[in-house]
Amino acid sequence: MHEFSVSSEIVRTVLDTAEKNHGKRVLSIQLEIGELALLNLEQVTFWIQELFKGSVAEGAKIKVKIIKARISCGACGHEGKNSSGQKDLFQHLIPLSCPKCGSTQIKVEKGRECTLKKIQVLK
Amino acid sequence: MKVIRSKGPEIFDIELEKDLLAKNRSLARENRKKLDGLNILAIDIMGSIGSGKTSLIKAILKELGMGQKVAVIAGDLTTTIDAQRIEEEGARVIQINTGKECHLDAHLIRQAMKRMKLEGVEILFVENVGNLICPGEFPLGAHKRLVVVSVTEGPYTLLKHPYIFKEADVIVLNKIDLAKAMKVSLSKLERDAKQVSPRVPFIRTDALKGIGISKVMNALGLEL
Repeated sequence: MHEFSVSSEIVRTVLDTAEKNHGKRVLSIQLEIGELALLNLEQVTFWIQELFKGSVAEGAKIKVKIIKARISCGACGHEGKNSSGQKDLFQHLIPLSCPKCGSTQIKVEKGRECTLKKIQVLK
Repeated sequence: MKVIRSKGPEIFDIELEKDLLAKNRSLARENRKKLDGLNILAIDIMGSIGSGKTSLIKAILKELGMGQKVAVIAGDLTTTIDAQRIEEEGARVIQINTGKECHLDAHLIRQAMKRMKLEGVEILFVENVGNLICPGEFPLGAHKRLVVVSVTEGPYTLLKHPYIFKEADVIVLNKIDLAKAMKVSLSKLERDAKQVSPRVPFIRTDALKGIGISKVMNALGLEL
């Protein structure tokens, strides 16, 4: 739901960086987004493309790498994927319990990223 | 920032490694530091539109009877209705209109704290924008985060929005007086809450009548 503001922040950072580095054009940008981040990728790429229009980054390729979720369990020490095999839909998004021992003392170690890794510019 | 020449003489890779949500988290930490320095306990109140966030804050203010020692930052898209309702209880109020933004963020709270007189304030409530999705991802620097869910939102809210409830320190189930009319089971909602956030206090309230408010205050560490 906050895709627009996150996209605006990405676009602002890309354009600032391009300007500081005297880039004539931005050819591509690379993002890493965790699968547990509450961001819809289609919306994010749509807004970035829209906001790039009329700038040096218009038409830049947007590469997105999805970061798989990893959790750790405070009870049994298990580290791994978030899937617990439960059938509830939301399990895919938000892990509730450890897939090994069922404890709810879990911590999300990976999968909530929203990182602008790098951009490629033409000078 | 690292600039690497690649693929031909005029093309450069610029490595940024910029985490866009990290900026909010670091501002939230700064807010927390400032609040700690001023000895203010800050509580972020989140919940759907119409769940009773303002009514809950009003009910707590009534119980506290601390007047201007309590401050409230009221977030809303465009109106000042909530701020006016809270002002009736004698607290200091500052309104943040977010326009089209769906949540408050740590930057907006920092700006609001700069604009408000915080000397003598002991407790700060932040009423977030009515929304169960975005506020969860944007910590503000508050010491406690409370989510209000009301019976009138139907039987599935907790399971549909587990993320925000997992972030919460206290969950309040409001409008319990309407459970029968809404054909909603309070114990089913409590079971859902325990499944999503097993160790978080779950408190039933009827904020308009003041029912359950003292328990909420206990859970927030607001002893009289």
